[in-house]
Order: sequence, then C-alpha cells, then structure tokens
Amino acid sequence: MRRRDFIKISSMTVGGWTLAQLLPVKGLAANAPECWQPSPLVRLCPDGKIIVYVVKQESGQGVQTSLPMIMAEELEADLKDIVVEAMPYDAAKSGDYSTGGSTSTIRQYQPLRKAGVTAREMLIAAAAKEWNVSIETCKAERSKVVNSVTGQEFAYKDLIEKASKMPVPKDPALKNYKDFRVIGKQGQKKTNLKEIVSGKMKYGIDLKLPGMLYAVIVRCPVLNGKVKSWDPASISKVDGIVQLFEMKEMGDQIENRSGVAIVANNRWSALKAQQRLKVEWDLSKADATVSTASYYKLQESKLKEKADLIYNEKGDVVTDSFDANAAGVVKAVYRIPFVAHATMEPPNCTAQFKEGKFELWGGFQNPGKVASAGAKYFNLKAADVFINLQPMGGGFGRKLSADYGAEAMQIAKVMEGKPVQLIFTRADDIRFDVYRPCSTHQLSAKISASKKPDQWQHHIVISPVMDFFQGNKGNPGWFSAEAGGGAYGDMYYDIPQLRAPMTRTMPPVSLGWWRSVNFTYNNVVIECFVDELAKKAGMDGLSYRLNLLAGLQKGPIKGGSVYDPRRMENVLKQCAEKIGWNKKRAAGRGVGIACCFYNHAKAYTAHAFEVSVNKEKQVKIHKAIVVTDIGTVIDPDGLTNQVQGSYVWAMSALMKSEITVLNGAVQQSSFFDFEVVRMNDLPPIDITIVQSTEEPGGAGETSVPSAMPAMMNAIAAATNIRVREMPLKRLGYSFASL
Amino acid sequence: MPQYSLQVNGQPQTVDVPADMPLLWALRDVLDLTGTKYGCGVGSCGSCTVLIDGKAVKSCQYPASACVGKQVTTIEGLSADATHPVQQAWIDMNVPQCGYCQSGQIMSTVALLKQYPKPTDAQINEVMSQVVCRCGTYERIRKAIHKAAELSAKS
Repeated sequence: MRRRDFIKISSMTVGGWTLAQLLPVKGLAANAPECWQPSPLVRLCPDGKIIVYVVKQESGQGVQTSLPMIMAEELEADLKDIVVEAMPYDAAKSGDYSTGGSTSTIRQYQPLRKAGVTAREMLIAAAAKEWNVSIETCKAERSKVVNSVTGQEFAYKDLIEKASKMPVPKDPALKNYKDFRVIGKQGQKKTNLKEIVSGKMKYGIDLKLPGMLYAVIVRCPVLNGKVKSWDPASISKVDGIVQLFEMKEMGDQIENRSGVAIVANNRWSALKAQQRLKVEWDLSKADATVSTASYYKLQESKLKEKADLIYNEKGDVVTDSFDANAAGVVKAVYRIPFVAHATMEPPNCTAQFKEGKFELWGGFQNPGKVASAGAKYFNLKAADVFINLQPMGGGFGRKLSADYGAEAMQIAKVMEGKPVQLIFTRADDIRFDVYRPCSTHQLSAKISASKKPDQWQHHIVISPVMDFFQGNKGNPGWFSAEAGGGAYGDMYYDIPQLRAPMTRTMPPVSLGWWRSVNFTYNNVVIECFVDELAKKAGMDGLSYRLNLLAGLQKGPIKGGSVYDPRRMENVLKQCAEKIGWNKKRAAGRGVGIACCFYNHAKAYTAHAFEVSVNKEKQVKIHKAIVVTDIGTVIDPDGLTNQVQGSYVWAMSALMKSEITVLNGAVQQSSFFDFEVVRMNDLPPIDITIVQSTEEPGGAGETSVPSAMPAMMNAIAAATNIRVREMPLKRLGYSFASL
Repeated sequence: MPQYSLQVNGQPQTVDVPADMPLLWALRDVLDLTGTKYGCGVGSCGSCTVLIDGKAVKSCQYPASACVGKQVTTIEGLSADATHPVQQAWIDMNVPQCGYCQSGQIMSTVALLKQYPKPTDAQINEVMSQVVCRCGTYERIRKAIHKAAELSAKS
C-alpha cells in the first residue's frame, strides 16, 4: 500500500495551542500516516475509525465522553465510530494542559466545534467534486456524505484522501442549537464504561514496566522538619530492599517534605519497610507545637487586628457602624477547616531517568507544572520531561499539585536507568495532602429600613493556596483567588457598600486546590449569613434572596464572566417550588435554601433541603433538591452524575471530614478517621437541569457549594440553632439512618 | 520464598510470595490482575474487595497464603466481556465516574446478591457502606443493584 501522510497543517488554534505546537506528538502522529488529521483534535482513518484527541485529563468528570460528543456533533460523525485517545504531554511541544476549575467544556467547546465543522465541510466538498454537483446538494450525516438528489453516499473513510486536498474553509458556519442531535443527547454512556466494569481500565497505579522498582517515602510528619538520620538495621529483616536514600525538599511549587526514600524490588517489601524504618528528624526549623486548635485561635485573634489588605469594591463602608449593639447590625464568625481530597486512587507516579531525560507515567491534572517545576529543580529544560498521561482515579484538585510527580523524578534520578513507581499509601495521602485551606470569617452587616444590608464587611483570615501552588509566599496578589466566590468582586447580591479585609496566617500544612475551593468557604458562609440577615429582617430565606436580586441588572462581574441575576432567580424559584417552600410543615421540620453563582464556570445552582433533627442531633433529610443552570448541556447523564457526586462531596465536608494537626503532625490517616459519606448516609437528591441555549458552563464543581449552606440553613430552621463551623460532627451532629 | 497454589478465577496459579503478603498485592503485582484496586490497605474503603469462596473479602486484609484451597474471584473473573448481570446493570445505569472503586462495588454487590437475591434498600445500605466512592456514585449503585437483582432473576 502506498503510505502517504495526509496530515494538513492549518493555523487553527486549539485552546491556546497551535497545530505546530501539537504535532507531531510522540507515539501518535507517526503511527498512522495513511490517516487524515484535519486538526490536532481529530484524525479520520481508512478503517472508518474517527480518533478524537482529548487534551483534558479524565478524572471521572467525563471529558472523554462529553468532549468527543462535541466533535461528533459538528463533524456529523456517528458516535460508534469515535475512538477516544488522551494526548500525552510533551513539554517540548505542548502548551497549557491543565484540567481544573470546571473549565474543560468551556475552553474546548469552540475549538472542538471548529475542528469538526472544518473537517465536515472538506469532506462535503470532496464528495461534491466526485459527483460533480454543488455542495448544497450534499449533506453530512452519521460519518457519511449523502447526495440528497440521487441518494448516493460516500462514507467518510472513502473520502479521506480527497478531502485532505480540499481548501481549508476560512469561516465555516457552526450548527444551530436547534439542529443538535448529539449535544444534549439523553442517555449517553461513558466511553470507558465497559473497561471500568471489567476492571480493565488502566490507571497510573496499574502500570507495570519491565524491571520496574517500587518506592515509598517516609516523610517528616512536621512541616519544615528535616531528616537527621535513619537506621537501616530497623528494616534488616525485610527482603527485597534495593536502596534507601534521603529525599530533599524541592522547594517552591513542589512543596514536598524531607524524607527517606525506600526503593524495593516488590511493593510489599517497600510497604513493610515504610512501617518499620526508624528515622530521626531535625525539627529545629519546624513548629512541632502547632495544632489546629492553636491555629483556629490564631485566626480568630486576627479578626480583631488590622487586616493585611482591604478589598473595597463598592461604596464607602463605615466600619464603625458594625457595633453589635446598634440597630440592624448582625455579626457572625464562621470557621471552615482543613480537608483532604482522598482521591480513591492515591497519588502515584512512575518515572524513569535515562540519557539525561525523564519519562513519566501517571495521572496529572497539570502535567505542565510537573514538567516545568521538576525540570527546574534538576537544571533541565521542561522539554526533557515527557509525560504519558493515564486516567485518574479521582482528581478533585489534588492532582494539580506537582509534589508526587517531582518526588518520583527525584527517586528516578537516583535510580538512573530504571523505571520506579512511587505510590502514596492512603496514610501518606491523608497526612501529606495539599489541603483545602482552613479559614475564619467575620461577617458584619447593617440592615437598613429596606431590610437590605446597606453595609457589608467580610473579613477573611486565611492562607492563600497560591502561596503553595505558585510559590513566592506572602505575595499580596495571592489573596485575590481567596476572595472569589462572592467575598468581594463577584458578590452576586445587591449590596451597595462592600468591604473585604483579608489577613494571612501561615498554616501548619501545605495547601492546594480542592473541588470548588474558595466557593466552599466564601459562598458557604455568605449563604448562611444571608439567612441570618433574613431572620433579623423578619423575612424567609427565599424572599430575602429574591429581594437582594431584584434590583440587579445583567452585566460583567469580576472573575471573568457575565452575571445574569435572572438566571439566579430562576434556579432559586424552581428549587423553592420543588421543595414546597411555603407548604405548612410538621413541628420540628425545617427547610433551607441557598444558591451559588460559580462565576468563571458560568453556572447558577440552588439547593434546598427539608430536615428534622432529633435529640441526639441526628439529621434526617426528608427532601433534597437541586436546580442547576449551566447553559447548554453537552451530556445530560454525565452532568446528572456530577450533580449527584457534588451532593455527596459537599455533605462529606459539611458533616464528617476534617484534618486536624497536633504537635505539628496531621492526626488522620485513613477513611476510619478522615470520614466521608458512605452509602448509608444520604437519600437520593432530586435534580432539575435548566434547559438553556446559553454558552456551556462547567459541571465538576458548580453544584458543590450551595449544598452546604442550604443544609446548614435547614438545620437552623429545624432547630433554631445556627451552626457556624464544620464539620458538624465536631458539634455532635450525624446523619440519621436511612 | 514459599510458593502457594491458588485458584484464581477458576485457574490454578502459583505465587512465590512472603507468607504475610496480602492477596491484594499478589493479585496486582504478581498475577497482573490490576482490576482489584488498592484504596487504603487497612480495610477501611473496600476498593480491594474480591470473593473468596463466594464471600466478599477485603483482599488487603487477607494473606495470599491463606487462600490455598479456596476459590478466589476477581472482577476479571466475572465474565469475559462485561456480561455478568451486575456488570450489565452497571452499564445500564451508567454508574461510574472515575471508576476506581467500582471493582470493589461490583464484587461486593455480587456477594450481596448471593445473600439477598432481592435486597431491600436497607440491606444494600448496610452492606455497601463498606465501599467508599469519593465521586459519589452511591445513588446509581443502589439503583444498579436493584437492576442487577432483576437481571439475575431472569437469567
């Protein structure tokens, strides 16, 4: 067979990538030269397969299903012909490759559509030329071009060579929403469903390379502590140990701990040795007295001091007016704890250092960061790091951090030439996570005759995630990420005078992004506080919110998107209707509602709960409602799965999960002490997805935040007791049995 | 190291491992049956659940050496092509998100349905609360178990 390369290079960009940056990619571009790749995102092969390249990492959020659906829509491809491939990360050629912030669909929607329609038009043009008819006579459907006069058909696979020679259309017209047959299709199955239920899905931890060694690390339990010495005799009875060596701290943006690496020829030996190895730590530069109790006190004390920085978005807040005894003043302090991610697949990475270059295998939400930060540490170029990406057994923001990849690189460098797989045990994962920050919030407001809070102050004491993610600790600019979620620039209610002082405290643990991060503190405390204001104003939570939305007009909002208060009102009203907001209820029953505008992911969500709480503080959920509007929905069943999962995620954090520190060390180590929601905790949630033709928003995080305050508001309604800290387990609450 | 003769998914297998090595690692690292997942190593999450003589067992807590003379079934042994009623039900309900815990969920369900061919929600909740899913697919798992019970009754 004559093998020809039909790859066509155009100037089309893919979410910040140009074709030249993308091609060729190791292992992919060279292996099928008889195929046609009209864009970096799709390749049509002569066997009829249409390969869609997903440049976002699958972690359960469904990008390997939803993103190919977008391509199939515009390409008019039959979904059964589509094969999904994840593109590896080659730092020599790749641009931004991060997966987080619920932005995968938002960022890929137009590039995928443009790539699809471009290919479709070239296929149609090729068929029209063959039949010697006008292109208007031809239409594309289910991986074929059909002559609508004669009924003749050309399968795409038979048009590959001819289509590749057609001119690239400059500005092809995208399909109209009403003509969508794939986007919004009900009942789409996950593309990797069969692999998962057969146990055949290969996550990073499932990788096995010839001659691979197994590594674990004994890390210093206290931040900034260092290895002093270790006693090899303590593991002399463990067979199979290949090498022990010191793990160095790799600095900014990696933030790993000092420790001792244990490399063994089998995993069980490595794990046993990790349990037994005696290590002496030098804690002279560490704080081995700090605890979460002392940290909570520190944060509370900072509320009374001058803030580091004040965001004053609107008006001129008269801070003296928040005298607790003055008329109309409401003040409340809320505390949100550190929490771990506990992805079911713990962090792991396989790495090999050979001929001056690293090759890595694993699941990473931000492979570019691993490559650049790791290469910098070893005085290499990022291009010397090649990362094979595998699906993640959960990400939730944990796998945006570079620590586990960089640690694997450090080990591989020592074991030069040999592939080494580093795993975090669950105890490592819980003790050495990059946690959602702990924060303390003082909310103060003064209600005017209109019952609205004319004056509003939200003082946040926190350590910014960016201190740990981006390095340069102490940078005042890092506060801006911590103010998102409604604390100042993206406040979504009509509040004329708004002030957000922020104070930094240095935490006893490392921090990272966590599903919905800042929304799980700012949005949560704001939505609880609004209920406190409603109570003061003598109004119910729904009417009060609608009152705070009524005067607002649609317009740009800090955080990068346009805010439409009418969409917020809509989700609130639909949610209230579903829960029967105004219905008379039996004594002891309470309803609560809350909403969230997830600004950069363009999503509007409201949750409502009806609960009762018995004397043992067992919370019985009688009804759970969520209404979400994320604009155009690509994969409704996938979205439903995300919304169900968000409810579980939120309830874990609200009721059960907390990371505590004692004598500088994290106290939890597994699911028996870092508790999460299980099957016997929650009744189903009733989900409504708003039908919309707006641009698509994000789904992974957007339904998390409002679930927590809605539940807290329901508990307050049922008990007349306002809880202002998490998890509620601390205060003796639990879920009643189902 | 001692050798142990095991029956895994109906096939005789010999593993050359220390007596204290958990079945989990023998399956994954020695027999390359990676469908059984490591989740915690201390029996608190259920990701590693397999069947030993038909009963659900957390393989991280069960030495491979103790399996001699017993029948071990892993996710790979349920069917050649995802046609076991429990797998079918999981497909029908499009259950997984990341999928990592699902082998443990499915194997626990197979054992559950042996004990209760038509389980109530209460029975499901009690047994399945052993297996953690951080993505939060519990509601779909519950539905899929009822569906699997239906499919099993038909087959």
